[in-house]
Amino acid sequence: MKRLLMLCAMGLGLAGAVQAAGFETRAATPAPALKAVDLKGATRTLADYRGKVVVLNFWASWCPPCLREMPSMERLRVRMAGRPLTVVALDSAETREEVDTFLSKMTLGFPILLDPDGSNTKRWKVFALPTTFLLDAEGRVRHVLTGPTEWDEGEALALIESLMAEVRAP
Amino acid sequence: MRFLQWLVLGLAVCVPVAQADLPDYQAFPADGDRLLLWAAPERGRAEPELQAARLLAGRGMSVWSLDAVSAYFLPQLPSSMDALPAQDMADWLRAALGSGKRVAVYAVSRAAVPVLRGAALLQPAERQRLCMLLMYPNLYTVAEALSEPDYLNVGDLSGLRVRVMQPRRSAATPWLPGQLDHLARLGATPSHVMLENLREGYWMRETPTEFEIAESRRMDAMLLRELDAWGCQ
Repeated sequence: MKRLLMLCAMGLGLAGAVQAAGFETRAATPAPALKAVDLKGATRTLADYRGKVVVLNFWASWCPPCLREMPSMERLRVRMAGRPLTVVALDSAETREEVDTFLSKMTLGFPILLDPDGSNTKRWKVFALPTTFLLDAEGRVRHVLTGPTEWDEGEALALIESLMAEVRAP
Repeated sequence: MRFLQWLVLGLAVCVPVAQADLPDYQAFPADGDRLLLWAAPERGRAEPELQAARLLAGRGMSVWSLDAVSAYFLPQLPSSMDALPAQDMADWLRAALGSGKRVAVYAVSRAAVPVLRGAALLQPAERQRLCMLLMYPNLYTVAEALSEPDYLNVGDLSGLRVRVMQPRRSAATPWLPGQLDHLARLGATPSHVMLENLREGYWMRETPTEFEIAESRRMDAMLLRELDAWGCQ
């Protein structure tokens, strides 16, 4: 009985340690290197998006939460047209065929990058999918979210707007 | 009277088995010379796992199936697995080795942690008699985006043969080499097999693919195949 009570107490303690998922704010540190090819075969790096806020999403076609948040990312892209924001979705460790199969079912207007060998996934230390990084216009990581969200509303939209407010007019 | 004898016999060999210092596990006895200790993941034991245990017993392999979160009244969280008494697990492994059968251990996800900790408490000669299959083990203390992963020290695993089974469709797949290196640093002899077209926990998914459904129904055959292909005796 003593052992049972001890374990119950430990269990309650563990349960109490569980926190709700949310964005983590990071000190503005330079982002790791990104080097991936897009669906046209062109090599892309973060330099291609410099001067814009970047929503960099790591996903995979087998991951249901990743697919659930995709429509909200597309709505965000449409809503922010003409403003300094780029949504980029990097598929983690899948083949081109697997990505194409998914894209035949969902039309997305933002760039999809491929990471078939998982090298970008490892460089960015992504351990769960989806994981999304919000980068400021200087290419620094400002916020990280592990797990899905609705990108065109709530906290996500507020954080994106705050980063875009930092962007100086040319 | 005969009925009573059968009842007592049934209770003795059936489920659950409860002994001092051993976790409550469900036994599927068989006549063969092999015994599989099956440690279910932190999400608890699913029906396909029980079905696979029944089928394995039908093929002559005894199975001791442990649903630790249920046995220890813990929440269905990865951290619950870390709270399991390592000595209980070591006693469980010793009881299996004492059966005289060839013993393999199959642990899923975070359940790898308590069985490895239990194995670390065994004598080296006892560890060498075990074959340990780990299905997508989670051996991290911390794994946060943009930071190097940190691994649990589960103790000395020298002499332990470990085979990691990694479903390809997993965020953990790119990190498999790191987990294998960690096991090797602890003294184990790790190897791995990649399970194609499968996701972690494919037998308990809310929206399984047709292939995952089919594989869930033949988990017994998959385990036997992998044990035989591995050649760990």
